[in-house]
Amino acid sequence: MPRDVTMPQLGMAQDAGKIVAWLKAPGDAVTKGDALFEVETDKATMEVEAQASGFLTGVTAGEGEDVPVGAVIAQISDSADDDTPALQPAPANSDDLPTGKSVTMPQLGMAQDTGLLVNWLKSPGDAVAADDLLFEVETDKSTMEVTAGFDGYLAATLAEAGQEVPVGAQVAIISADKPANPVARSVQATAAAAPAPEPVAEKPASQPAEKKPTPPPTAATGGRILASPKARRLALEQGLDLALLVKAGHPQPFHVADLDTLRAIPTETPVATAAAAAMSLTAEIASDGFTDFAAWAATNGLIDADALLAGLAGASMTARCVIGIDRSGQPRHFAVPAGRSLSSVTQTDATPDLILRDLRGTALRSVSLGATDTPVLTLMAGAQGLTLTLECTHAQMDGPTAIHLLTTFADRMEHPLHHLL
Amino acid sequence: MREITLSQAVNEAIAEEMRRDPTVFIMGEDVAEAGTPFKVLSGLVEEFGTSRVIDTPISEPGFVGLAVGAAMTGARPIVDLMFGDFIYLVMDQLCNQAAKQHYMSGGKLKVPMVLRTNMGATRRSAAQHSQSLQALVAHIPGLKVAMPSSAYEAKGLMKTAIRDNNPVVIFEDKLMYQDKAPVPEEEYLIPFGVANIKREGTDITFIATSSMVQVAEKAADILAKEGISVEVIDPRTIVPLDEETLLASVRKTSRAIVIDEGHQSYGVTAEIASRLNEKAFYHLDAPVLRMGAMDVPVPFSPALEDVTVPTPETVAANARRLCAGEMIDAA
Repeated sequence: MPRDVTMPQLGMAQDAGKIVAWLKAPGDAVTKGDALFEVETDKATMEVEAQASGFLTGVTAGEGEDVPVGAVIAQISDSADDDTPALQPAPANSDDLPTGKSVTMPQLGMAQDTGLLVNWLKSPGDAVAADDLLFEVETDKSTMEVTAGFDGYLAATLAEAGQEVPVGAQVAIISADKPANPVARSVQATAAAAPAPEPVAEKPASQPAEKKPTPPPTAATGGRILASPKARRLALEQGLDLALLVKAGHPQPFHVADLDTLRAIPTETPVATAAAAAMSLTAEIASDGFTDFAAWAATNGLIDADALLAGLAGASMTARCVIGIDRSGQPRHFAVPAGRSLSSVTQTDATPDLILRDLRGTALRSVSLGATDTPVLTLMAGAQGLTLTLECTHAQMDGPTAIHLLTTFADRMEHPLHHLL
Repeated sequence: MREITLSQAVNEAIAEEMRRDPTVFIMGEDVAEAGTPFKVLSGLVEEFGTSRVIDTPISEPGFVGLAVGAAMTGARPIVDLMFGDFIYLVMDQLCNQAAKQHYMSGGKLKVPMVLRTNMGATRRSAAQHSQSLQALVAHIPGLKVAMPSSAYEAKGLMKTAIRDNNPVVIFEDKLMYQDKAPVPEEEYLIPFGVANIKREGTDITFIATSSMVQVAEKAADILAKEGISVEVIDPRTIVPLDEETLLASVRKTSRAIVIDEGHQSYGVTAEIASRLNEKAFYHLDAPVLRMGAMDVPVPFSPALEDVTVPTPETVAANARRLCAGEMIDAA
């Protein structure tokens, strides 16, 4: 089977090579590795070796000719008189195209991706010789005529004049026999005929159910729970215990999405942990200074005693906050700005940071209701003055903060003037 | 808006700056008549003559050294290094001389030069003409590194580079020279150290450089059909790096893949991934992945060469695994 001899690319910036001399004559026996012809590029002159053994036939380019890189210039055949050019298999998608040899858009410049097909110089059905000019191509540099490269008949043209054709794309088919139905197509039609490679849709990743239970058993991790840094942080911030996911047999590593599963785990254990982490502090003061203070403040325009109470509590927190005043189940929320200005306390709908449960008017003397979503400070009448109880979790407030809150608030309730000083 | 090729964009940027500032000139191998093998500089010698568009001998260390000296003494040279791979030849001039003059002279000397060169595989140019060596340059303090991802970036970054008083190395992807993009007629500059959010998303961030931005965007298209929302960010300059934009994105999406065409080990991807780890650790829901070229010389065989670089398919596959919470054994 004949093998094509093509013009090699010998330099990065090389579009074409000039055949300086043929070192073998048509019909000569050649052995793979023999020097076959000499090429001159802008850099150097080189000898090109035969890539196969056989006989040199079908030489289409003569000495002194400039030949585009990649163009077929001869064949190496099995016999000296075999002049049938190498039959290139027709492309797979050309089921309804005539069979024959492909003519492709040549690359005529380093920086060239496409060529503009200016004009066909032959019509479908015409007989063509290998040396015949087949079409004209315009690149950004110049306009060139391209030869047919094969003897035969122009069986199909696969691009129309005026179309841009990608380098390497098939533009024509040359058949050995006169075609019964010569074909003339445009580039688009060719593209449409090609089976469009549909992107194979992989299995959608967003199916948590499909998540493979990657098996890092606790043993392999030395008892450490595998979780992403973000999942770990959010669990900590929200008081969620990742160990519950482990107990539930949920596959590790845990990610943020797994926290939803964690939240859905029956709450008995979280409550137990919250209860375990709960704290309760109680303070007693000898007298309730607030009632007199509220009466005095009312004469100065601050008539809402709840706002006043919220202001004193808020000032005992470390930053601006929202205080809920809860008396007989009708909470009112107040925004307390940083600083001590009691006149700047305003009512709000925001979620409270601390609930002040005012039970002074009741017979209750002690409460232990357990921590809730929000820290709760309960005011009750005491043996002499007032009893104040703060209930919260460690997640809501650490020990020192709770102690600070309760002691400073108790002081303000006993000596409201300390607030102003 | 008109569309021009990356090649034309670079040409315009250089021509405009040469018209604006008579101290700007360009030199390198085959820059004048030939206009470089990629035809990027075609037409410049006709306008500016051979005293400002200078063909040099094949002597990379010599002419880069010449540029350093010219820059130190008041000119604004642009050096054309025909292939990024030749940067090995000029390491002393670039890293020991250009990068250090300002520091070692106590600020008395400046080296306002631009070295424009290229990168990128899959052009069948074999192991010595296909490398992406930006990490080597980015490693050296004193050098800025720009990596345009389209014609628009190529023009705006080149103009900023020419006006910068420090040595700047610009890596253009040699596969993108013919890629067209909208480029305004009117003048514009793209500041260094400002990343471009190419598309917004919520599930994962792709941080990609140069031609890998196209790869990232194609991967994002694939993933969008599967319901995964991708944010694609082009840092545009890797030195200086717009860390804030990258961090803000990763804090939002909790996942990231960093894609660059340099070799994966000890590369640009490693540096960016490391910064995300250090500064956004508690916001990460998955390990930050690096995707670079394989740690092998770039093969000449097209079939082999194509598998050495990240593709939309491989990026999308990794993104799916991260979003599904799979264990990544990336060691």
